Amino acid sequence: MSTIRVTGLRVRHRRTVALDGVDLTLGTGVHGLLGPNGAGKTSLIRVLATVARPSGGRVEILGEDLSDHRRRGEVRRRLGYLPQEFGYYPGFTVREFVAYVAWLKELPAAAIPAAVERAVARVGLADRIDVRIRTLSGGMVRRVGIAQAIVNEPRLLLFDEPTAGLDPEQRVEFRALLRELGTAATVIVSTHLVEDVAAACTEVTLVDAGRIAYQGNPDTLIALGESSEGTGDHPMERGYTAALRAHRTSAAGAAR
Amino acid sequence: MTGPLLYARSRALPVTLAALAGTAVFALWAAHRMEMYLDPDRRVPIVALAPLLAAAMIGASLRTPSDELDRTAVRPWWPLRLGQLAGLTALAAALMSPAVLGHPDVFGPPALIRNTLGCTGVTAAAAVLLGARLSWLPAFGYVSAVYLGSSGVRGRAATVWAWPMQPGAQPGAWAAALGAFVVGGALYVVLGARPEGPRG
Repeated sequence: MSTIRVTGLRVRHRRTVALDGVDLTLGTGVHGLLGPNGAGKTSLIRVLATVARPSGGRVEILGEDLSDHRRRGEVRRRLGYLPQEFGYYPGFTVREFVAYVAWLKELPAAAIPAAVERAVARVGLADRIDVRIRTLSGGMVRRVGIAQAIVNEPRLLLFDEPTAGLDPEQRVEFRALLRELGTAATVIVSTHLVEDVAAACTEVTLVDAGRIAYQGNPDTLIALGESSEGTGDHPMERGYTAALRAHRTSAAGAAR
Repeated sequence: MTGPLLYARSRALPVTLAALAGTAVFALWAAHRMEMYLDPDRRVPIVALAPLLAAAMIGASLRTPSDELDRTAVRPWWPLRLGQLAGLTALAAALMSPAVLGHPDVFGPPALIRNTLGCTGVTAAAAVLLGARLSWLPAFGYVSAVYLGSSGVRGRAATVWAWPMQPGAQPGAWAAALGAFVVGGALYVVLGARPEGPRG
């Protein structure tokens, strides 16, 4: 069953078109969202997170139409979101911050303490749970962000650049967590790091200039790179550049 | 720790409460100090400036560092925002009123309460339009301009535009200050403070 159905999605930021007629259907699994800077990845994630409103098109999440504001709360209840900059409260401990997000998500009060401990343990911060966030390293703060996103056991998880600031060991652990989360939920990961996509994602969507440039899985993207002589050091980088080139060539041809 | 307490800490309410108490003590000290020296009946500076300070502190508490996450909350924001704004305004007025006890029809507690409402309303509207960090600026500019420029001005219109400098019983000044509080407060309760930071 599809978790997300997007048809004809348009997002404008003043005079700039961030997303232009995006059609997308995603189900359970880990979906990598790749694309150059300014391609529209964050705009797409923000619409799916119910934070930004589209200027056109239809977005259906977990069977609920996002244009109906009364249904948006139900979507948010089953949604986890880690923005690029999640802005924590410096005086809060890890436990307090994750508990606060759980309270905002209207988890039953009795269930919050256990949910917080479970989420914090999953990101490997159990021994730091009562430490103030401002004393943690950048990578640990990022893991606090991941913990708040999973505290409500969401059906849809949206991560925008989740591995920024994580060291290689932490990234390996995060990929394992992604794979685990993707068995029961729809996980969308916006990233520049193709290694993360190759290692953890079951599907890949490539966005360029506000449009979907490519959809497939890591293996097909790698195969495209090998057959089309894309450039890059990693097999997936070659697939990424080949897919981008093909999309831009066809878009330029259509414009003529 | 319960959710409402975490909300209060997320908005730095303990610091804000301490700052409001400090403002009240300062206003009380300044009021008595004035009586001792040159101008024993001159309460206008307290009535005009103490609410301005209190409104600036309330405005700072309207800031949230995690606006992006806040917008994915299931819990409705309006009761929290309304409680915060109305509670802090009432508390500020109650704490500062002892500084100007007596003379209720001139520059006593009613004028101070009116100005607290007006300044907080302007500050709340500014938090929505400019962000909480700069929310103190419009009220500061307006009240300062009125303070410096309204002496000797008479007429019905002046009781409205120069509301921070009017005696406590002026209906026009009350209408203007209450209007600012209702409009500014409603804007903040519905929309929240303007996001600051990368997406602000």
